[in-house]
Amino acid sequence: MILNTQLQTSGTFAEGKSLAVHNLYNNYAAMLLGYIFEVVKNRSEAEQYLIAVFTDAQSQIDEFYKPGVNAFCRLQLMARKKLADFFLSIGECNIGGSQHQQPFTGKNKFIQQMDTQQQFVFCGLHWHGKTIGKVAAELNKTENDIRKILKECFTIIRNSK
Amino acid sequence: MRIEDYIESGILETFVTGAASDDEVKELMYMKAMFPEVNEALLQLELDMERIAQNMAITPPADTWNKIEQEISDIILREATQPEKYARQSSEEKFDGNKNYNNKHHYIEVEAEAESSHIKIHKNWKWVFAAVFVLGKIFLGCAIYFYLENRQAQQQIQELKTELKQVKK
Repeated sequence: MILNTQLQTSGTFAEGKSLAVHNLYNNYAAMLLGYIFEVVKNRSEAEQYLIAVFTDAQSQIDEFYKPGVNAFCRLQLMARKKLADFFLSIGECNIGGSQHQQPFTGKNKFIQQMDTQQQFVFCGLHWHGKTIGKVAAELNKTENDIRKILKECFTIIRNSK
Repeated sequence: MRIEDYIESGILETFVTGAASDDEVKELMYMKAMFPEVNEALLQLELDMERIAQNMAITPPADTWNKIEQEISDIILREATQPEKYARQSSEEKFDGNKNYNNKHHYIEVEAEAESSHIKIHKNWKWVFAAVFVLGKIFLGCAIYFYLENRQAQQQIQELKTELKQVKK
C-alpha cells in the first residue's frame, strides 16, 4: 500500500519534471545540438552530449523557470561544462592567418561578418572553451583587449539582419 | 568604476560566452542585482547568443527525446526508491532498540558470487532466514526421533518374531 502510494507519487512527480524538461527540449534542443555539433564535429557524439545535458537539466529544472533566467544560456553553460574535457583535445578554428587548421564548419552569417581577429576571439571563447587569458596569450594582447574585441563581435551580431 | 564603463568593459560578453572566471561571475551577479542597466544589457546579450544558436540549429533525431525521457524516468524512480544503508553506529552512539531511527528503507548487504560482489536484501528477510533455520532444526530433531522410534519398533518386532518361533517349537 505504502509502496504503491510512493510509486504513484514519484510517477506524478516524474511526469511533471519530464514535461518541464520536454518543454525546454522543444524550445532549445535544436539550438543546443547545433552548438554542441560545432564543438565535437560528430552527430552521434553531439547527440550523446545533448541527452546528457537534458537529463541533468531535470535535477535543476526549477532554476530554468525562474524570472530573469535565460534557459538557453543556462543549457549552453551546462553543455560547456560537459564539454570541458573535449575542449582540451580540439584544435583551432580555420581562420585566415591562423596556423591551426581545424576547420570551422559552421556557416554562421554572424561569424562571416567578423574580421579574422574577431573570429579568432569569438570562436576560441565560444566553441573552443578557451579562457580570456589563453586567447590573450595567443594573440599577444591584454585580457582587456580581448574583452573589447569580444564586445565588438557582439556589436556585429546585434547589428546583423 | 562607472556602471557604463563596467558594461562597456566586455565582462558581460565574457560571461555569456561562458569564459568568465568565478570571481567575475560573482561580481557580475552582484552588479546584475544592484543595477537594472547591467541586468538589461545581460538580457540583451543572452538574446544575441540565442540568435547565433538559431542560425546554426540542427534538428535532433526523432528518438532523442525518448532516450532523454527514459533516462529521466530511471533517475527519478531510482531517487524515489533509493535504500538507505545501515550506517555504522559511532562509538558514542549505542544502539537503542526502543529508538525510532526513522529509516525509510532498511537493507542489509550480503556477499554473493556475482560480478558486482554484493547484493542488497531487505532487512525483513532476516526473520525469514531465522524461521528457516529454526524449522530446519525442528525437522532434523523430528527426523532423528522418528528414526530411533522406528529402529526400536523394528527391534521389538524381531524379538516378538523370535519369541513366537520359540513358542511354536
